[in-house]
Amino acid sequence: MFALLILVPLAGLILMNLPIGAALKRLAFPLALALTVAQSLLIACPAGVAWLGGGTLDHYFNFSLGIDGLSRVLLLSVGIVVFTTLLVGRAMLVGPRRQFNFVSLMLLAMIGMNGTVMLSDLFSLYVFIEITSVSSFILIALTRGRDSLEGAFKYIILSAVATIMMLASVAVLLMVAGGTSFEVIAAALKNSPHSLIARIGMGAFVCALFIKGGLVPFHGWLPAAYSAAPAPVSIFLAGIATKASGIYALVRLATYVFPQSPAVNNVLMLVGAASIIIGAVAAVSQSDIKRLLAYSSISQVGYIILALGCGSPLAVAGAIFHLFNHAIFKSLLFVSSAAVEQRTGTTDMAQLGGLGSRMPVTSATSAIAALSTAGIPPLAGFWSKLIIIVALWQAGFHAYAVIAIGMSVLTLAYLLVMHRKVFFGNVGEALAQTREASWGLLVPAVVLAAITIGLGVAMPYVVNTFILPISRIL
Amino acid sequence: MNGMLLLPIVLPFLAGAAALLLGRRAGALGGPLAVVATAINLVVAIVLFRQGGEVTFVAPWATLGMEFSLRAYQFSNFIVLAAAGFGLLVSLYCVKFMCDRKHANQFYCYMLISLALVNGAVLANNLIAMLFFWEGLLGALFGIIAIGRPGAWKTATKAFVIVGISDLCMMLGIALTYHLAGTLTISKINLPLGGLGAVAMILMMIGAISKAGSMPFHSWIPDAALDAPLPFMAILPASLEKLLGIYFLARISLDMFQLSAESWISPLMMIIGAVTILLAVMMALVQKDYKRLLSYHAISQVGYMILGIGTCLPIGIVGGLFHMINHAMYKSCLFLTGGSVEKQAGTTDLAKLGGLARKMPITFGCFIVAAASISGVPPFNGFFSKELVYDAALERGILFYVAALLGSFFTAASFLKLGHAAFLDKGRNENAGVTEAPRSMLIPMVVIAALCVVFGVWNGLPLHNFIQPALAGSHFGQLNAHEIGDYSGMHGSRVLLIMTALSLLGALANHLWGAKVSGSGLGAADHIHHAPSLSWAYDRAAQRQFDPYDLVLKLLAVVSNILWRLDRANDWIYDRFTVGLTMTLSRGVRLAHGGNYAMYVLWAILAAAAVLVFLVKS
Amino acid sequence: MISALDILLLAAMVAASVFTVMTARLLWSVLSLASTSAFLTMIMFKLNAPLAGVFELSVCAGLIPAIFISTIGLTQRLSPEALAQRRKDKLKRFFFLPVIIVLTGLVMSQVPLAVDFAMPAPAVGQDVQTVLWNSRTIDLLGQIVVLLAGAFGVAVLIKGSKND
Repeated sequence: MFALLILVPLAGLILMNLPIGAALKRLAFPLALALTVAQSLLIACPAGVAWLGGGTLDHYFNFSLGIDGLSRVLLLSVGIVVFTTLLVGRAMLVGPRRQFNFVSLMLLAMIGMNGTVMLSDLFSLYVFIEITSVSSFILIALTRGRDSLEGAFKYIILSAVATIMMLASVAVLLMVAGGTSFEVIAAALKNSPHSLIARIGMGAFVCALFIKGGLVPFHGWLPAAYSAAPAPVSIFLAGIATKASGIYALVRLATYVFPQSPAVNNVLMLVGAASIIIGAVAAVSQSDIKRLLAYSSISQVGYIILALGCGSPLAVAGAIFHLFNHAIFKSLLFVSSAAVEQRTGTTDMAQLGGLGSRMPVTSATSAIAALSTAGIPPLAGFWSKLIIIVALWQAGFHAYAVIAIGMSVLTLAYLLVMHRKVFFGNVGEALAQTREASWGLLVPAVVLAAITIGLGVAMPYVVNTFILPISRIL
Repeated sequence: MNGMLLLPIVLPFLAGAAALLLGRRAGALGGPLAVVATAINLVVAIVLFRQGGEVTFVAPWATLGMEFSLRAYQFSNFIVLAAAGFGLLVSLYCVKFMCDRKHANQFYCYMLISLALVNGAVLANNLIAMLFFWEGLLGALFGIIAIGRPGAWKTATKAFVIVGISDLCMMLGIALTYHLAGTLTISKINLPLGGLGAVAMILMMIGAISKAGSMPFHSWIPDAALDAPLPFMAILPASLEKLLGIYFLARISLDMFQLSAESWISPLMMIIGAVTILLAVMMALVQKDYKRLLSYHAISQVGYMILGIGTCLPIGIVGGLFHMINHAMYKSCLFLTGGSVEKQAGTTDLAKLGGLARKMPITFGCFIVAAASISGVPPFNGFFSKELVYDAALERGILFYVAALLGSFFTAASFLKLGHAAFLDKGRNENAGVTEAPRSMLIPMVVIAALCVVFGVWNGLPLHNFIQPALAGSHFGQLNAHEIGDYSGMHGSRVLLIMTALSLLGALANHLWGAKVSGSGLGAADHIHHAPSLSWAYDRAAQRQFDPYDLVLKLLAVVSNILWRLDRANDWIYDRFTVGLTMTLSRGVRLAHGGNYAMYVLWAILAAAAVLVFLVKS
Repeated sequence: MISALDILLLAAMVAASVFTVMTARLLWSVLSLASTSAFLTMIMFKLNAPLAGVFELSVCAGLIPAIFISTIGLTQRLSPEALAQRRKDKLKRFFFLPVIIVLTGLVMSQVPLAVDFAMPAPAVGQDVQTVLWNSRTIDLLGQIVVLLAGAFGVAVLIKGSKND
């Protein structure tokens, strides 16, 4: 029945777009919202998971789905972030037609992401990543501004490079394994551990996913795309789109499909560390909130990949936990920037200041997200970073651990500077009349902040119930 | 009856707390309260002492061997008894002295709590419990100095820093002792003096002699003598702290460590003692203020006790301990006479005093007895204890003896000067209306002066009852039981007696000559003050160039200046360099992201090629 | 056995792909891309690799709309001078193509590519329909969704612009 997570959005999408009256189109938003809530709740409750696991629907459609803890973490993130994105989009996009298109594209993206994280076939993985990407192109260009078109174009071009690499890799691995399902590939790679061709195949796919995930030095498209996209789309991109396609696939392949090899792990760690450093360093001098957050996103994704490259079960558990946390706190930061944009019309920090007194809720939730990103206890981000650093240290990668800690300090620095420039100080003449953001932005902000705090406080429970089981499977 | 051990601690403490609550009424009510409390305390102390034997009280406290255990035996009972006696007498004295002072409630509070803490520290049989009381005393000390005349807080800070640092040494010593002995129970500790043991002993000794006011931890005492309320001097630096400090010094030397004459610590202690005797008494000689002069003697006399205990000979130890109790008596008596003079004449500046002998005859009489005691004039108590110390010092080395004897000479000279200047010289007009002190202030003085005589003439009384049993009960005493004799009565060695007599006569002759040359009692020591090489040193000392505290403060100023510069450099690294570097790097990265998609594609392809090459090659 | 048909198909594919890149007209470009894909699929089937053929078809279906919409979204009318300039430089812009081909060939010849893995049993006897419906249902569904997304892209970027 997990196929429902693909089929229901698809059915909804088709129904909405049939020319059978405007009433159904008006229902699009609430239905999509309900769908995300349903997905989040079903995945979060064990009973819901059990219900989804039953049934014969998957067989009928001949789907071969592989759902495990990692998939569930991602499905939950998809539910939460798409929920947030929909609400913010409702609040910020102008015109019923644009909103309808936005909802439809979000459903498409949801199909893509749900499929990506549930399927256990390399080629299917590629196809569903492509669905997410195509939806993302269009979403970025949704407002058809010059910048957003340019951002979308950069994303398309680099995605095309990624597509070529992925296809080449699928072709090579198909040749090596004779099939494209994860099991077959994993078995074949295990059989020929020294195969040069197989290694090229793996390398090509990993590089493609680096592009999709926006890791240094494959990240050229990311700052432009994130900052040029409409506010809700930025949340969607930073929160889940690149994670569910690029990062999830990397985690899945590196831990379940590809054999553990020091070479691949070294590449992952090197790229991860480079992303952490370049992302954080570049973020420091940004003057635009969204661009700053985009670089911050690169840096945080670097942590996930660094831990993934470390390879120990604890590190991978930390990576997965950080993946989820990142989805939450980065979405929250982008929601804050959306709130600022909604009320002031700009995200240029030079023109902002003192909004803390005018937008207290936004300021508070933004501060929580910033602190969680920087890894301040007891927020959730602290724990995942702690797990990652401890795992790195235990595995003997002391230099990487030091980098991780040092850049964590830089993270705190640029986020606090951002927070100070936007929310602290005296409010200027031009911004004196600023009001608190609308409910559509406050509700997701509060929900996400509550998740960040709750996860951090209930950390022992979370570790025992979700994180350790995932790492034990490895 | 074991719980009774708590009384000497709890009673004065509660009384002190009550005194604090009295507020402004403490001026009138605090005195009686303190008298009643200390009287009960004295009764308890007497009962404890008469009970004899060993009484312990143990209550669980913190974990890890830190228990609240008290132990009363011969030695500690004696100290508690002595402290109780001084407590009562000084309280009695305070009734009139403090009645119109500000902060009387705080004074009584600190005084009574000090008494409680001293009792606690003496009775404690666990090093941590002892340290607890010991450090508590520091707080009371700070408070009691700080409520003196305006600006006294500076002296209070000085005392706090000096004593605090030496207490810190003691804390380290206790930690080290615990490490070595594996227990914190004092009565179970008996460590050899090798390597770490010696370090531990030295550290604890620093704490002990600093509490007693020895050099080089002395410099707050003369300042406090001027700044703090006078009864404070009589009760704390003159008696209670001496009792406690020397008690603890004796405990570490005799019980906790196996100190012997062969150990290098013994000469060290003797040197400290001899230097303290000489330097402090030289300073005392040239003072022009009643209280300040006395305070230097309070330092100087500690030297005899340390010298005596440092000899590691039974006779020296008995002499040191005997001198401790004698000193507590005559020095508190002297301070009390100083208090009377201050109260009645309004000043303690010797230049403004004079001719008080007629107007305050009882005070003068007490002064003579106490001054004779401190100078070591027979048959007063100071004479007998000093003779014992001399004997031991001579046996350990002629130099120590000479130092001790010289100290005695200057002591006598300075008290001749003090008595001459304050009581005998021509009276000044403003002193015309001075009358004898009130009765409640005279009684303590007279009682103590009488005790000085009693302890001198019948010196077997204290020696047999208090001091020799205390020594015999210690590890040292048990080890050297055959060497311990009876030290009461007139001392045997005729040479020593003659030398002492000569030094006293010399002091008298020196004074008479000096007074004749300068024309007044006050100037009797001026020829020493202005002696060719000494005047240079005195001038420097008057400018506080030898005050270890000020020296350290100056050194600290230099160090802190250096640190401040380092801190600037540090700040520069954090505030300028790091930020600048980060921003420069960041701008560089930003420039690299020029927005040209072809460049981005090139990066991605080159990086992918690098990854593939890496994978193929590895 | 390499037949004349194989060589012909290969040549046609290369020609179509080169034309895709070189032509200045969008429609021609898209059409020739489609025919490149078609030729490639034929080669795959000829080589008895139906699975690969199906993949190729799928990719084509996914990629073409993506490229189509992205290009349309970004087209701007060129000024006459720029247009003339571009016509003049038409071939100049591709001078690096042969260089890249030669370089790639050189690199590939240096890499010791050989069958260094356990060869899987070849999948035989499956026609397109079987492959598409029985084992690749989900991919087919995915391709349909990609097409849908492409359609939305057209709707958003072209229809929307007419309304504005």
